[in-house]
Amino acid sequence: MNTYEVFLKKPGRNEFRHAGALDAADPEMAVMYARETHNRRAEGSEMWLVDRRHVLVADPESMAVNGDKPHRHNDGSLVAARRKENRKSEA
Amino acid sequence: MSLTPAAREHLLALADDEHMIGARHTNWIGLGPFLEEDLAFCSIAQDELGHAIGMYELLLDDAGTDRTQLDAFALQRVAGDYRSCWLAEIECSDWSDSLVRHWLYDRAEDLRWKALESCTDPVVVAFSLRAQREESFHLAHAEQFLSRLASTEQSARIVASINRLMPIAFGLFDSVASEPELLAEGFVTQSSADIEALWIEAILADLKRWDLEVDILAGPGQFNDQRRTVRSDGFDAFQADLVKVIELDPIAVW
Repeated sequence: MNTYEVFLKKPGRNEFRHAGALDAADPEMAVMYARETHNRRAEGSEMWLVDRRHVLVADPESMAVNGDKPHRHNDGSLVAARRKENRKSEA
Repeated sequence: MSLTPAAREHLLALADDEHMIGARHTNWIGLGPFLEEDLAFCSIAQDELGHAIGMYELLLDDAGTDRTQLDAFALQRVAGDYRSCWLAEIECSDWSDSLVRHWLYDRAEDLRWKALESCTDPVVVAFSLRAQREESFHLAHAEQFLSRLASTEQSARIVASINRLMPIAFGLFDSVASEPELLAEGFVTQSSADIEALWIEAILADLKRWDLEVDILAGPGQFNDQRRTVRSDGFDAFQADLVKVIELDPIAVW
């Protein structure tokens, strides 16, 4: 049995969203089972299945580095503080 | 009342078959070989029960009976008033038997709905088309599951189940007593014998594709004179199970 990731898309300008996963013996049976396990009440109008073995997985550590770069997270507070100071000195 | 007695009996046979097979399939809820199959098989069971309800409603409406009587009509008739076939009624406690029964039954069911496509009653035609859409999934499920098992060491079990069930399966084509009138009225376009011939063709094609050698014509025919009026062994116990809840409080409205 292989694991397949299931994605569903509602009609209109909606994106495909991850709906869950399932186990099946092969791709054809996976598509058949996905209809009942994840689209039982017609939650989507289009469906994608991806064999989990074909999913490229990034290293979490390489991703975590980006969480420690404060210069990339400018919320404007420094600029606001400087402008406040400027207004005070102009007054 | 717009349905003739022959049409009523024909629809009742189809509805009772759907009711019995649906109820039997639901025995596998939570017991399927893996979660995905559990869900798929029980979905098929629910589809069959849905077909039964639709046909029962049609019969009740036609008779001017209130739909609140549906449960009593479905569950509490005397055994001789049912028109189900034995294949749908019997217990299949072996997964292989259940799977093979599902295939044999749905191959026939699909053909039986097709025979109603040109029915003189437009409500029945609409129902037939809806049911056929669902049948396409049932047949795909049976085909995919059995074709894969047939190529494994489990094929002997499948063959044993086919040999066990095949004689009973021919009872699917045991016509109701009023079939001659039904054909004369044009309610159905094909006789039970016509459908049986198409079914045998489809079953043989499946077996050939799956490379399984079974002599399906070894023992047919012993049910063809009962006109669906005789119930299988075990029916009384099955019906007793089905009415257990409804009989807890006979005047309750569910």
